Amino acid sequence: MNQLHSFQAVPSTRNAFDAYSTLPEPPRPQSTHAPRAHTQQPIVTGTSVLGIKYEGGVMLAADNLASYGSLARFKDIQRLHPLGDNTCLAVAGDMSDFQYMTKLLDATLRADRSVSLTDTHPPFSPQNIYTYLSNLYYARRSKVNPLWNAILVGGWDKEKKESFLAYVDLLGTTYSAPTLATGIGAHIAQPLLREAYEAKAGVDGKGPLLTGQEAEELLDTCMKVLFYRDARSLNKYQIATISNDGVKISDSKSSETEWGFAEGLRGYGPQTQ
Amino acid sequence: MSSIGTGYDLSVSTYSPDGRLFQVEYAGKAVEAAGVAIGLRCSDGVVLGVERILHSKLLVKGANRRIQSLDDSIGLASAGLLADGVHLADRGRDEVWNFRETYNAPIPTQILADRLSMYVQAYTAYSSVRPFGVSSLVAGVDKTGPRLFCIEPSGVFYGYRGYAVGKGAVLARTELEKAVGKETEEGGVALTCREGVLEVARIIHLVHDDNKDKEFELEMTWISPESNMKHAVVPADLLAEADAKGKAALEEGMEED
Amino acid sequence: MALFAPPPMYADPTMAADKQHAFNPYSENGGSILAIAGADFTVIAGDTRQSEGYSIQTRYARKVWQLTDRCVIATNGFAADGNNFVKRIKQRLEWYEHAHQKQMSIKAIARLTQTMLYGNRFFPYFAYVILGGIDEDGTGAVYSFDPIGSYEREACRAAGAAQSLIQPFLDNQIYFRNQTPAPGAEPFVPGRLPLSTVLGLVIDSFTSATEREIAVGDGLELYVVMKKGRTTDDLVGSDNLIKNMQVQELGALGEGGSERTFLVSLPLKRD
Repeated sequence: MNQLHSFQAVPSTRNAFDAYSTLPEPPRPQSTHAPRAHTQQPIVTGTSVLGIKYEGGVMLAADNLASYGSLARFKDIQRLHPLGDNTCLAVAGDMSDFQYMTKLLDATLRADRSVSLTDTHPPFSPQNIYTYLSNLYYARRSKVNPLWNAILVGGWDKEKKESFLAYVDLLGTTYSAPTLATGIGAHIAQPLLREAYEAKAGVDGKGPLLTGQEAEELLDTCMKVLFYRDARSLNKYQIATISNDGVKISDSKSSETEWGFAEGLRGYGPQTQ
Repeated sequence: MSSIGTGYDLSVSTYSPDGRLFQVEYAGKAVEAAGVAIGLRCSDGVVLGVERILHSKLLVKGANRRIQSLDDSIGLASAGLLADGVHLADRGRDEVWNFRETYNAPIPTQILADRLSMYVQAYTAYSSVRPFGVSSLVAGVDKTGPRLFCIEPSGVFYGYRGYAVGKGAVLARTELEKAVGKETEEGGVALTCREGVLEVARIIHLVHDDNKDKEFELEMTWISPESNMKHAVVPADLLAEADAKGKAALEEGMEED
Repeated sequence: MALFAPPPMYADPTMAADKQHAFNPYSENGGSILAIAGADFTVIAGDTRQSEGYSIQTRYARKVWQLTDRCVIATNGFAADGNNFVKRIKQRLEWYEHAHQKQMSIKAIARLTQTMLYGNRFFPYFAYVILGGIDEDGTGAVYSFDPIGSYEREACRAAGAAQSLIQPFLDNQIYFRNQTPAPGAEPFVPGRLPLSTVLGLVIDSFTSATEREIAVGDGLELYVVMKKGRTTDDLVGSDNLIKNMQVQELGALGEGGSERTFLVSLPLKRD
């Protein structure tokens, strides 16, 4: 898989302290002449996030795990972040960059709220926030000092009365689509999301969208499939629903899983060969 | 007239022989000339109100607000030179941002008032600047509860239960003392924000000088349970009610005279 | 000399390890773009698929943008660089308009594009750029650029994932390479084909590229810039519409001109 989109640590040089390459960062050389000023890789990471447009809004999903290399380090981390009344982020990648970025945006929105009492103007739309993020991430990659994240921005535009869903990552790459997934989710969940979306809306997207309940069940399925196949995932996740009523972030939940089939697999069950 | 200042008022960095800073005192005159601003600390929040004098019929309704937000739960009402108030509020937002950046917590109202007062004080100590021409009421609710402070042009700041600055402030303070007096009585309870809004509006109408300034708009904000403990404008219906009741109370008082 | 030369960087294993982890600020987002000039029009087209490796990121992302009443730009390569380059150039065109009370000519936009691309010589925009439009004489014009600003005016150009499929076809059909005029017939002159023929070539180029190149598909957006006063019957006449094709005229951006720009959209295969 492309190095840029797998947020697991790059395989490090094995040594006596890290025989199985579980640390996210290889040991630094004792002395080096090359300056190493900037983040060149993520450390504590969140895995893929999902998003889908449904009838009346957008839903985002992200699990609660923050990994340290292959170690499931923090198991109660919320990776869905509401911004204002009608926008929400789902963030994959480096968790410290995530915290830095959300702090920056929270401060920006708070400052805007303060000023809005005397200097009246419309609140930030999801598109406004997305453009800000895109510019931030592209500017940082252009300094070769990236913020190591892939982000889904979900929102409801109150002016246009339409939903908003778009992607931006550490390279400043941007795009929008009715279903989105980052990282390994782009390979495993995105096909499932597109299939279900197009089954109702048609390939031109002009038919009816999934209902809220259908969309949530679809995300539940995708999160389960990801938990089965993504070694850096956790069966504990949240779903954000963004609609005209605002942003609602669910409590953490789990999928029912069935591991009986695994008993027959070589390497999992009792057999040795 | 010739005795005023006598050369000791040309610079804020020069004391008069009896230890006064005339420039600071003149700044106080700018405050006294401005429409009254009132803050009232209530049992469940804080209320700010100003008498926004309309010096021209051409002004847009509701424009040129004198109360500003500094943080989600902090407001600032100023009396004096409006532009100085706006600048001070800008500085306040910087302090709010700086505190949160450093401590990842909202700034306590008292610390904000302290930092702003240091800023104001700095403008009384250099010959190249003039002091702020505003007295500012800083109202906030933090984990210590509802707080109200007033920062004066000299840079001093005091905490208050209720306070008024600007034109008619002396009379307004007497009225506030009566309102607050109930709280200090044995078994007395402070006003709620809802009652506070009515009280502040009443006092503003009372001290408004109809002969000098014809028109004014009542501008009120609060930090109350009804605004989710955020600094927000008082809802239009409550403001209209307070305005009407304030006006009615004034007319009632006139009939008694 | 060689005796005292330091060992090359790659000889140091720790450095090699570092190098392996270096952040790569570039990506490649597939797709293809194409422009063909006629005597009094130009066609500029691009597909709408955006991909990375084997993944389709979206089936609709624009690669072609109207800049002025007589100039359209298309970018291909790293989408983030392309989008930001277009944003920058639009900003420069706006400043030019404020300063000079007129829109920039395509010739000037071409030189500006070179300057802006070469200005990033040591951290290039990874974007292949094609400009298409009408020049000051009213003739169709195509300018093509490499990512660091090398450019030339041509009768046609294809770029992107399907460049190697489309350009030879265009060389044959537009430049008449490997064709011999019939005895006694007029010699071939590139850049004189009628619009209907050019539209057919462009659409066939993209449908064929969609068949053979996985990074191309989903949709086609094709801009036609027409010289002032030219007939539009050969585009908007209903006979010329193929299935699912939509034609829409884009309003004037400036006030001078009276060149007209049309956007033709049609679906491409999604597999």
